[in-house]
Amino acid sequence: MSSTAAAAELAVQAKQAALYRSEGYWAGVWKRLRRDPVTIVCALILLAMLVVIVFAPLFAPHDPYQGSMIRRLRPIGTENYPLGTDELGRDMLSRLIYGGRLSWFMGILPVALAFVIGTTLGVTAGFVGGKVNMLIMRVTDVFYAFPSVLLAVAISGALGAGILNAILALTLVFIPPIIRVAESVTTGVRNLDFVDAARASGASALTIVRVHVLGNVLGPIFIYATSLISVCMILASGLSFLGLGTRPPEPEWGLMLNTLRTAIYVQPWVAVLPGACIFVTSICFNLVSDGLRQAMDVKG
Amino acid sequence: MLRLRHLLLAAALPVALATAEPAAAQGTLRIGMTAADIPLTHGQPDQGFEGNRFTGIPLYDALTAWDLSRADRPSTLIPGLATEWSVDPNDRTRWVFRLRPNVRFHDGSPFTADAVVWNVRKVLDREAPHFDPRQVGVTATRMPTLRRAEAIDELTVALFTSEPDSLLPINLTNLFMASPAHWEALRRQQPTAEATWNAFAANPSGTGPFRLTRLVPRERAEMVRNDNYWGERARLERIVLLPIPEANARTAALLSNQVDWIEAPAPDAVPQLRARGMQIATNPQPHVWPWQPCFLEHSPLRDVRVRRAINLAIDREGLRTLLGGMMQPAVGTVPPGHPWWGNPSFQIRTDKAEARRLLAEAGYGPQRPLTLRVQISASGSGQMQPLPMNEFLQQDLRQVGVNVEFDVIEWNALFTNWRQGCGHPSARGAHAINVSFAAMDPFFAMVRFWDSKMAAPVSNNWGMFSDPRFDQLVAAARNAFEPAERDAALARLHAAGVDEALFIWIAHDVGPRAMSPRVRGHVQPQSWFVDLRLPFIQ
Amino acid sequence: MFFYLVRRVLYAIPIALAVGFVCFMLVQIAPGDPINAIVPPDAPQEVVEQVRRDYGLDQPLPVQFGLWLWKVVQGDLGRSLATGRPVWSDLSSAIANTLTLAAMASLIGFVLGCLLGGLAGTYRGSLIDRVAVTSAVAGVSVPHYWLGMVLVVIFSVQLNLLPAMGAGPGGSADWAWDWEHFQHLILPAATLSVIPMGIVTRTVRGIVAEIMNQEFVTALRGKGLTSRGVFLHVVKNASPNVIAVMGLQLGYLMGGSILVETVFSWPGTGLLLNSAIFQRDLPVLQGTILVLAMFFVALNLVVDLVQTALDPRIKRA
Repeated sequence: MSSTAAAAELAVQAKQAALYRSEGYWAGVWKRLRRDPVTIVCALILLAMLVVIVFAPLFAPHDPYQGSMIRRLRPIGTENYPLGTDELGRDMLSRLIYGGRLSWFMGILPVALAFVIGTTLGVTAGFVGGKVNMLIMRVTDVFYAFPSVLLAVAISGALGAGILNAILALTLVFIPPIIRVAESVTTGVRNLDFVDAARASGASALTIVRVHVLGNVLGPIFIYATSLISVCMILASGLSFLGLGTRPPEPEWGLMLNTLRTAIYVQPWVAVLPGACIFVTSICFNLVSDGLRQAMDVKG
Repeated sequence: MLRLRHLLLAAALPVALATAEPAAAQGTLRIGMTAADIPLTHGQPDQGFEGNRFTGIPLYDALTAWDLSRADRPSTLIPGLATEWSVDPNDRTRWVFRLRPNVRFHDGSPFTADAVVWNVRKVLDREAPHFDPRQVGVTATRMPTLRRAEAIDELTVALFTSEPDSLLPINLTNLFMASPAHWEALRRQQPTAEATWNAFAANPSGTGPFRLTRLVPRERAEMVRNDNYWGERARLERIVLLPIPEANARTAALLSNQVDWIEAPAPDAVPQLRARGMQIATNPQPHVWPWQPCFLEHSPLRDVRVRRAINLAIDREGLRTLLGGMMQPAVGTVPPGHPWWGNPSFQIRTDKAEARRLLAEAGYGPQRPLTLRVQISASGSGQMQPLPMNEFLQQDLRQVGVNVEFDVIEWNALFTNWRQGCGHPSARGAHAINVSFAAMDPFFAMVRFWDSKMAAPVSNNWGMFSDPRFDQLVAAARNAFEPAERDAALARLHAAGVDEALFIWIAHDVGPRAMSPRVRGHVQPQSWFVDLRLPFIQ
Repeated sequence: MFFYLVRRVLYAIPIALAVGFVCFMLVQIAPGDPINAIVPPDAPQEVVEQVRRDYGLDQPLPVQFGLWLWKVVQGDLGRSLATGRPVWSDLSSAIANTLTLAAMASLIGFVLGCLLGGLAGTYRGSLIDRVAVTSAVAGVSVPHYWLGMVLVVIFSVQLNLLPAMGAGPGGSADWAWDWEHFQHLILPAATLSVIPMGIVTRTVRGIVAEIMNQEFVTALRGKGLTSRGVFLHVVKNASPNVIAVMGLQLGYLMGGSILVETVFSWPGTGLLLNSAIFQRDLPVLQGTILVLAMFFVALNLVVDLVQTALDPRIKRA
């Protein structure tokens, strides 16, 4: 969102993190994290969700694709179908579990891709500086001129519906903010004493980047990226909701929310479940990201 | 004091009249359409038949029309702006239409034979100054044989077709008569013909029972009653059209009293709508929701026994339950009792034992199970609820040992594939395709599927069906110019089609609409259209 | 200061050009021949050839871009494939509606966000702080299209208090600020406001807390300054950042209202985009994206200028 401010803040953190980077620093982070019950609880929720969706076949009581017309739109609490059934009589619990796979995948993969690409470009821009910096940052500015939802909708709208196109669009959306943060943090680290010292001692640029810069900038960029996962998940399911992402009968939370919309008058509670799943996941990612940032912020 | 009493009386009067005598009732009817935009208002609406329903028939008339005043029988063709017509016995490509006298357009100019010629030229004569390429697409395909028009005298006009075609009068319900005088007047203020048509769309002039008074693109259109209408006048004072493409938004709008009438409520919302006192109007439509078989070498549906077996294996009543009653089981392209029904000897019903017997006879059984591959869409106009319905069929056919695999593709792509044929790579080896169609016009109902000349990519004979017997039946129907004779020829064609099980007939849509209890007088005809002169608000 | 302004304005020009290029490329990356994305499938061959020449589709890409840009500068965004109307005619009224909605949502978000954030920053660690922080996180984490559906079911269908869709009895064409029309704005604006609410709350809380911790505030308090004085001081110091955040939020909402407008059938750019996507009406898609992105570029510029004017200490390269 106001990523310039965030970037500046992170740059400061990075400098301090660099100074304090030692066993003691990480112990302090862990100590602070342990005292933050909200972050711990959210992390545990996410971990539990991850286990459930990765081992979906073990947890899902029914086949997520197998429906039956005679038991469609059953309410929550139905025997054998604890979360009811959807508009095709498929077990909601199983669909939500399997749906998490695609929703998480589409929430995390674009951010991960953007993290790799954005960090590479951002660190290059920050470390090399000069014309390279100029080129990378001006192109970034252009993509910055689009509100994120608009850019995602525009690209996947032009390319047409489909998971791959949606992932491509979302990756493009998240590269520019990560470049900005990476560039700003790297510029901050570059001018620190120990980098100068390394340079004076004759280390090659690559070594400096690998040993000194990356070690110090990856953390802050990573934290920033985790805060994007929640945005990405909402955007991805939003694309599916508009009919631009996943296609039926594939379970995915945004798409389930879309197809269950017509049932909102019959089984409102069942119909809002996928939305609640997106909400819980996204709020947990946000809180964990906040908690991590606070724990790693030495000022905190 | 006296004045006050007058006012009170005046205010009380219309109410008293409304309850006593519906004919004098009035009011504003607000309609939530499924289209995402107001259908074009210049005379040749887009948005499929919903366009004709809401901005065609109310604002304009065609030479011929559908009788929409009865709910208890299929709508028949009646005179519109033409009072009578006949084909020239010496030249069967020449039709003579006698026009209705004393009809005026909304702008006051008279409706004459010249106006008919002008309206034919607007879509068929590229040299005409008012030719509008944008109107060709929605018009020409609906009257494929019409070529030109000639005025004989002020109230007589001759129309010419490319080949003898007895179906022309039915096709002509789609050619709406716009006012040439009004267009010419607008042309003087506009730089180009195209700009003039845009101006005409914003301020149109037809002969219909309503006049357009306001158009906000994508949001609303308002029309008021045409008090000078040549036929029976409308009871409503005003109609407001609102595009609400979202089924849920339509339901919510009706429930929160933002509209009085919605098209196609989601079946799942119907119980809730009923519980809140809304009326649900349904009636079978000339619409077919089928699986259209492929007749090429690789397709098991080439065998008539298999086609019959599948037709017999389907539990159409179960499907109706799934849709909350919002469908009519289809046992042919037209229902029994229709003039084109004929008397097929193959009776479509649910008889799983017979289906199993036929499959066994065709060589399929537990040792050699039959697998069918069907291309379907996830949504689309007229497609009803494609996913749940197909899934139901899949489960049903499993009971007679038939496995069904679906190839779910996007609606527009499916529609395009429909013209490519089942031998084309786009079919991806499918044995059947699930595209629903309108069946009120014999060409659209039967000819384009069963005539070998219509094989893809010419028209929608996707299955590449080719049988000289059917070609002869089609030719006979096209050359039967007496209505009774033509219906009889079409009935023979239809009966033969059912006997050969040329489709897997599954459902007819019932065109559900929901309306507030204040809407009275509505007649839900067996048609895609509706007569908006009939309802009124109480 | 002056040079900064001039440089900032000049810098916006290449950005705007590049944004235009990205929008231009949208039609190019669409699968299939670009001509099919511009003319309706049933257009006669001569129309197709005419358009091909007009847009220079037989020429190299940079020339095409130039021709396209020239048309855009003259206000010609092309024609809708679905309706044949010029794109701009539909777009102009849609933009006004989206602006109304986004401005209303920003206002709600701004007021609530400042209130919650201010209180939370002042009383850090208190119950109200926790409520504010929680609602801020919830605001940015909720899928707002889902929230919109829930609100419709509660307020329109169950309670029958507020209309569920549309922009009022006369459509947006005769929009007026009376209850009749305003009630249509409430649910979509409330739904859309949760994001800026969350972000403004966070921002204001951070700034206020930081200022309150600064030594000079403590000193001012020590000198017996009233809470009103402290408040004014906080406002003065916080406003440049808050205004920047808010201005950008307005831009994000303009671009991001597509989902909410779809749920509420609000006749803005989002609904326009949605139907353009469904009908694969690429000229409408391209024109809408272009205008919204340009608006965002301009807004960024204005925000920067206002921020600089308010707080001359901000110096940028």
